[in-house]
Amino acid sequence: MAGFLLRRLLYAIGTLWVVASVTFVLMRVTPGGPFDRERRLPPEVLANIAAKYHLDDPWFQQYLRYLKEIAQGDLGPSYKYLDRSVGDIILTTFPVSASLGSVALLATLVLALCAGLLAASSRDSWIDRSCLFIATLGIALPHFIFGAGVIWLFSLQMGLLPPAGWGSLPALILPTLTLAAAPAAYLASLLRSTLLETLDDDFIRTARAKGLPESLVLLKHALSNSLIPTLSALGPLIAAMLTGSFVVEYIFAIPGMGRFFITAVTDRDYPVIMGVTLVYTTILVCANFVVDLLYSWVDPRVKVS
Amino acid sequence: MLPSTFNYASPSRKGAAWGLFLLLGLFCSCGRSSTPDSENIFRANLGTEPPSLDWSLATDHVSFNVIANLMVGLTEFDDKLKPAPVIATSWEVLEGGKKIIFHLRDDVFWSDGRKVEAKDFEYSWKRLLDPKVASEYAYILFDILNAEEYHQKKITDDRRIGVKATDDRTLEVLLKQPVSYFVAITTFEVTYPQRRDLVEKFGAAWTEPGKLVTNGPYLLSSWKHENEIELTANPKYFLGKPAIEKVKLSMVNEKTTALALYEQGQLDFMDNHSIPALEKPRMSKLPGFQKVPQLRGYYYGFITDRKPFDDVRVRRAFSMAIDRRIFPKILHGGEEPAISWIPPGMLGHNSGIGLPYNPQEAKRLLKEAGYPEGKGLPPVTIGYNTDDDNKIVAEAVQGMWQRNLNVLVRLDNQEWKVYLSKLKNDPPNVFRLGWGADYPDPDNFMKLFTASSGNNNTRWRNARYDRLLDEAAREWNVEKRKRLYDEAQRILCETDVPIMPLFTTAETTVLSPRFTGLQLSSMGRLALQHVRRSSKPDSGR
Repeated sequence: MAGFLLRRLLYAIGTLWVVASVTFVLMRVTPGGPFDRERRLPPEVLANIAAKYHLDDPWFQQYLRYLKEIAQGDLGPSYKYLDRSVGDIILTTFPVSASLGSVALLATLVLALCAGLLAASSRDSWIDRSCLFIATLGIALPHFIFGAGVIWLFSLQMGLLPPAGWGSLPALILPTLTLAAAPAAYLASLLRSTLLETLDDDFIRTARAKGLPESLVLLKHALSNSLIPTLSALGPLIAAMLTGSFVVEYIFAIPGMGRFFITAVTDRDYPVIMGVTLVYTTILVCANFVVDLLYSWVDPRVKVS
Repeated sequence: MLPSTFNYASPSRKGAAWGLFLLLGLFCSCGRSSTPDSENIFRANLGTEPPSLDWSLATDHVSFNVIANLMVGLTEFDDKLKPAPVIATSWEVLEGGKKIIFHLRDDVFWSDGRKVEAKDFEYSWKRLLDPKVASEYAYILFDILNAEEYHQKKITDDRRIGVKATDDRTLEVLLKQPVSYFVAITTFEVTYPQRRDLVEKFGAAWTEPGKLVTNGPYLLSSWKHENEIELTANPKYFLGKPAIEKVKLSMVNEKTTALALYEQGQLDFMDNHSIPALEKPRMSKLPGFQKVPQLRGYYYGFITDRKPFDDVRVRRAFSMAIDRRIFPKILHGGEEPAISWIPPGMLGHNSGIGLPYNPQEAKRLLKEAGYPEGKGLPPVTIGYNTDDDNKIVAEAVQGMWQRNLNVLVRLDNQEWKVYLSKLKNDPPNVFRLGWGADYPDPDNFMKLFTASSGNNNTRWRNARYDRLLDEAAREWNVEKRKRLYDEAQRILCETDVPIMPLFTTAETTVLSPRFTGLQLSSMGRLALQHVRRSSKPDSGR
């Protein structure tokens, strides 16, 4: 187990280094710089700004400085939010995205499990078809349409929930629903198809022949043998949901980290781009590690090492 | 079919289901909350997080909108866009305009009780110029003696910069050369005073609530990043405490969401940050709707050193083939068609200058240039940054040029920073840009197109134009200045035509009938100090 943990740690460090390096190169080859403005700055002003942020150093020096600072846990200053460091921005916004993402993840899992089980247990019935239809709709509808739709319905027409905001439970409901809809639909259809395959297996026939109740057959035997594909999808899903969604945060005015995945790029705010990318990668690596551990828990044939 | 063991009717599950239902009901009832009428709170939407509340570093109007309510400076511009005294009681122009002495009021206090003194201005201006601070707006003070040299690190002793507090109430400014617009610069937020003791004590965090000390109508009481800024009325404000006790400035990016918040009574004011373009016609019927013309011009520029726009006849033909009356109709934002460059309201504006719409003359000019009916014309591309309004304008212009000149131009759009980079390195032969005033003086608009201006993307230069602007900057007589700007505008918009002004923009606003007194200036600044509750009954939204 210790060897496995060490290997995974080295793998994680290697992944972070590759991601940091690729991100650094991509940022620098993308046309446009952080201080390009409609109002072009005089050369002497630009020179002082470049000196302040070490942007006048050769690329390789900048790269080494980046790596050194990252290794020390210093993500540098933001080029756009001039009073704040990237660390401050992430410490303020990540907990918001992670809270919303956790609730949405829970909602996703509950919805996906219920819908997947219901559909698989009622194969080819109207319930199955309804679940499939709703799942297809959930996958096909982009976040911004779904979000605008629920605001229109629950806020403007029914006046039940606030259209935006952060800090109250009612304000959490619509973004959670919007964030959870597509992944819940995807996981439900994935679980349904895997369950249907498993339900045709010999060992299920044997379980039924032994007279086990259908619920036990479904929940104990079929479900535990159908979870591996769902778990595989869960790793990237956890990372995506915990680090926030640009569209959901934009529509519902959530002060989370997700918006920076887009705005930092359009602003060419290099340190923020690097910061959010590294946070995302770290969570992805951790989530995949947890999923690997879950594999062996769900299916003892899979060994951790 | 459901498995038989799934008994949803069992008492415990029934209870849980009811519990869940009640909980949802509770959440939903909380969702209707809006500020009761009795609370003395005003709520507006900034649209985004202000990038900085340090007025030496701020560059955008969101930051300046907050700063303008926290701080006051030497002057502010009045209804006629002329500098009017605020902290300065008066100013003397000496030595033919090379020396300006500002006399300061004695009754303006910082929120921690200390008096605002001339040395606070001296410190702030020198900080703006400090190369280590690396302020983007440092150049705004380059007319001051040795200011540019200090910023360029050619001199290191800041005592040689031509700004000095000669006593607590007197600020003396020495200029490199006389510039008549210099007092107008002091209306700009970047010139507001700062406290050396606090900036040095708190470092970059000096703008955070609890640390920020200001002198304006409101105080910064909380700043939830990416979420909300709360201001409270300043009881020590020298012009009297504002009537509204609290102001909440939210940061809702999405316009349809902001509109939903207004319609639910959770916002009291909307501007272009909060009104979706398609909703503008509907909003115009609401009480409290207003269109505020802005000192912001929208123009197309020509690359004048490449064919076909190296020929002034072609440039004039293309400009005369645009019927600018179409823009307010397709953009719905209260735009004002423009054929001259200095915007309405600003000194030097002259609507009689420019090339009016004249498709026949345009055709004739194109023929004279050797392109009859557009034949033989090299390919023409309109470049613009990706944006719905820019696309609408470009398509309209494309249509008019095809109709009036028989020329089919290509449209080419790019993401903003890619577009700016392309403008520098490989510009399309017609490009879109805009310009908003930093301070309300024509110099700020006209200098854009001088030979030495970094913002002149047209590659056009005209020594006469540059000389006229230098003369106008040195001229203190208003009538003479106007005449100089008239002549310069004729070169820019009639004879040489390196640019085609298309329209000036406007801000669309809706103020809840529950409030009155909000002022949005032509510089886009939201002045909250005169906002008060309306005495009229609430006529709904």
